[in-house]
Amino acid sequence: MSALDVRQRVRPEPPGTARREPRVTDEHGRRVRAGELAWRYLLLLAVLALTVGPFLWQLSTSLRGPTEDIYHSPPSFLPARPTLHNYTRVADTIPVWDYALNSLKVATANIVTNCVGSALAGYALARLRFPGRRVTTLVFVLAMLVPVEGIVIAQFTTMRELGLNNTLIGVVLPGAVGAMNVLLMRNAFRGLPYEIEEAAYVDGADVWQRFLRIALPSVKGTLAVVAIFAFMGAWDDFLWPLIVLSDPSKFTLTIGLNYLHGTFADDERLVAAGTVIAVAPLIALFACLQRYFFRGVGEGAVKG
Amino acid sequence: MVSSAANSPTQQGSRVTVPMPRRALAAAAVALVLPLSACGSGGDEGGSTDASGKVEGDITFQTWNLRANFTPYFDRLIAAFEKKYPGTHVKWIDQPAEGYADKLSADAGGGTLPDVVNVSPDLVAPLAKAGLAMDLDKAAGKYRPEYLDGAWASHQVPGMSGTYAFPWYLNTGPLFYNKALFTEAGLNPGRPPKTYGELFAGALRMASKSGGKVATLANVPTIEDFGRYGVTLMDKQGTAFAFNDTKGVELLTRYKELYDAKALDPQALTATPESSGKKFLTGAVAMNPGSALDLDNFKKNAPSLYRNIGITDQITSTGHVNMYVMGVMVNAHTRHTPAAVAFAHFVTDAQNQMSFAKKVAIFPSTAGSLNDPYFTREDGTDETRVRIAAAKSLKSAVNYTPVLFSDQMKTALRNEVAKALQGRESPKQALDNAVNAADRLLRQG
Amino acid sequence: MAVSVRIRRQLPTSPWLFAAPGLLVTGAFVLYPFVSTLVNSFTDRRTLLPGRFVGLANFRELLHDDMFWTGLRNSTLYIAGVVPALVVLPLLLALLVQKNIPGITFFRSAFYTPVVASIVVVGLIWVWLLDERGLVNSLLETIGIGRVGFLSDQWLLLLSAMAVTVWKGLGYYMVIYLAALANVPRELHEAASVDGAGPVRRFFSVTVPAVRSTMVLVAALSSVAAFKVFSEVYLMAGPTGGPAGEDTTLVMLVQRTGTGLTGRVGYASALSVVVFAVTVALMLLVLRADRRDES
Repeated sequence: MSALDVRQRVRPEPPGTARREPRVTDEHGRRVRAGELAWRYLLLLAVLALTVGPFLWQLSTSLRGPTEDIYHSPPSFLPARPTLHNYTRVADTIPVWDYALNSLKVATANIVTNCVGSALAGYALARLRFPGRRVTTLVFVLAMLVPVEGIVIAQFTTMRELGLNNTLIGVVLPGAVGAMNVLLMRNAFRGLPYEIEEAAYVDGADVWQRFLRIALPSVKGTLAVVAIFAFMGAWDDFLWPLIVLSDPSKFTLTIGLNYLHGTFADDERLVAAGTVIAVAPLIALFACLQRYFFRGVGEGAVKG
Repeated sequence: MVSSAANSPTQQGSRVTVPMPRRALAAAAVALVLPLSACGSGGDEGGSTDASGKVEGDITFQTWNLRANFTPYFDRLIAAFEKKYPGTHVKWIDQPAEGYADKLSADAGGGTLPDVVNVSPDLVAPLAKAGLAMDLDKAAGKYRPEYLDGAWASHQVPGMSGTYAFPWYLNTGPLFYNKALFTEAGLNPGRPPKTYGELFAGALRMASKSGGKVATLANVPTIEDFGRYGVTLMDKQGTAFAFNDTKGVELLTRYKELYDAKALDPQALTATPESSGKKFLTGAVAMNPGSALDLDNFKKNAPSLYRNIGITDQITSTGHVNMYVMGVMVNAHTRHTPAAVAFAHFVTDAQNQMSFAKKVAIFPSTAGSLNDPYFTREDGTDETRVRIAAAKSLKSAVNYTPVLFSDQMKTALRNEVAKALQGRESPKQALDNAVNAADRLLRQG
Repeated sequence: MAVSVRIRRQLPTSPWLFAAPGLLVTGAFVLYPFVSTLVNSFTDRRTLLPGRFVGLANFRELLHDDMFWTGLRNSTLYIAGVVPALVVLPLLLALLVQKNIPGITFFRSAFYTPVVASIVVVGLIWVWLLDERGLVNSLLETIGIGRVGFLSDQWLLLLSAMAVTVWKGLGYYMVIYLAALANVPRELHEAASVDGAGPVRRFFSVTVPAVRSTMVLVAALSSVAAFKVFSEVYLMAGPTGGPAGEDTTLVMLVQRTGTGLTGRVGYASALSVVVFAVTVALMLLVLRADRRDES
């Protein structure tokens, strides 16, 4: 069974098709019985409460005013008088929008470098013949296994020798082409049938043309996966930006939130507002890209 | 799949076949890698301890988690300095509370340490040993009389001559207690414990009266608790730890009794300063050490507690309360020694410390400042009462935490204390283990 | 694989041009620092002081370090606790969201949300949920069970951290299973149905054998991640690793011994090397499973 086949099946149905049909059908086009449908939705809602509930609770905590008891038992799920006061307080305490902008710059750069770098390297590993290909693959596999906590200082020293400490470039560089992403792209390219490229080869396309015009468009889904991983990684990182940056005007959001946590550790509402600011963009981005994402997964991208 | 590089014909001929002993190879590898990743203590730029030249140039000043609350103060401070010394420019950077030691070590290792750095005594010790902190006895000895003797001495490192940071702000605080809980347990809320004996007896009573619901203490003993109890922490030369003496074992044994009776909070083993503060706020714990800063917090977040708040002195067997000291060190490799020293002194001089103290509940380390009416004259408020009591006790206060007691040693002590409280080790054995671990770490540097 | 030979027209330099950015970044910022870690593991280097070559002393010290064994125990327990859950639960979840019933794309995305959220945020959320006075304890009290010290007992802490790991990993592995399930030919299910097999029998006789290689893959991936666990335990049990440090994991120990101004870089490097060696061994499992998968 080829990978293309998988992609088609995992891809979410185009919106509308299922609804227009009089009966609900499964992925094989067979009818789903009403009883089964009922318990399926019941289970889905239960899991939904478990996976999304904690985020909603955090959101609810962040919207509560200073007079409302947040420890009450039994708990009330909705804030009595919702207020955005905590968000204003976060913005008053730290220049949260400047930090968010820095995070956005770093995350965007990280997406671009990761998509370009790992697509190129992944293509070379999957499709090009050259001496040292196995060793190169091994290099990326080993890099993936290195425990990051142990090498941060050595990374900083290297960065300083390059004169890039205290710059946003310095924040981006170590994760600019993640080994995991290279391997994801390699697997995606390997999943493509050779026949497609062969036709182009017969037509006289050189390697760059084959890469850009044929191979790359076929792995858009995996690129979306890499983009999401790159964004998540950059947006989340704490220790590395902390170490490489000194200048407060260059701080990223996670460092800013840490200020908040360090200064107002016992104010649950404020910390909750901070976490919502940190997580909301990720969820928004994912919501936009989820269609490509699930397609990318179908390409077998997630297989180590 | 692919022919590997090893047996491709072009490579075979060019391979170097000179045999090399393995040891030499390893040594070469060490030599190759170490200098690149080793520390920057051998830096050759700057490094003069002569602070007599003209005060000029661009310097960087790094503080520790002060930006969120005190930006206007520091902006004004820097502006005043730059006005006083035309030709200087001070860049202020502030680091978050968490990860400060990591930030310092990365900068120290990479040679990017700022010119003037906010430190605490335990942070300055390793920096001084690595030759990164300027000896201020040499560079700024003339300023010494401006500071309290004890404060000046707090940035000296056993085994080294010299003083490695200007003393900055001091902090100490009273013990807060919940009068309502005292009354419920049949204890006299007007007569809080004054000695360890009274404290422990009261705590046991509180626990038994409340059926184990209300603890009196929320934290396991730390090195400063041992110090305040009168335990000798280190030998005189500063070469070995000694807190496993009979006095130390006695304190830990008492704590174990409290823990078993739930007079020490059952969650003390995982407590953080924030979590124990929260427990005091919610009435799960009857006493909590704090500072004048906390009163405001009680007023805002726990009005009912604030009505019942009792304030008493820190309990100590030595006659000296504990204090925390912050310092300002000068990077030994600064390129602008006169400016860096002048600025570090400026930040910590009597006038600027005084105005900082009025912004926040801390205390100046400059001689005579504590006699200012601000620290002596009552005005009837609790804040002032706490401030005056603290200022008075600071004159004889001690920073009990040994300068050489590193984070790794603190963790070792904390873990051994926890084992003793859980009954997995006797108090004696636990402290012996902690002392051994700390001594081993001390010998290693 | 034989096909690859046919694609040959390329300038001899281009493969390296393709791989160069990735190799440069990986080499300079991952492998080079790691090699220096490897070298450091044979020295007594500290954060601010250069080290001397001490041979295998660090590794010998490991064997007598109680904390190392505690860390090894916890990291191993973490595998035992997390991996079975992450192999089975996401598969069941994938079966649940596999059918294209209305609204299913919403559910799929929603189930993936915990994967997208950052671990620091997830940690803060769960610390607040499992707080002595947090939502979970309020609910437990309401239904009469009473409050539970999730964040103060040594074993409950470890269990809570595992629960968070599973919670955050469910969506990730669900998606891997979705891809694999799409490969199961429907004829197999139909044949089994005709034979009168119920859904449970079909699950064991059709689904499980069909996704077995994926299950091996998930087991290996999740055990590598579980062995290197850091953030969940660090955030929930605190930097010192719970009561008496009993919840310390190996990577937490690396972080604790090696960082700060008094960090024992040499010893922490030796710990890193051990962690690396075990992960490589676990990863070999994956590669073998992967190879079997391909053939």
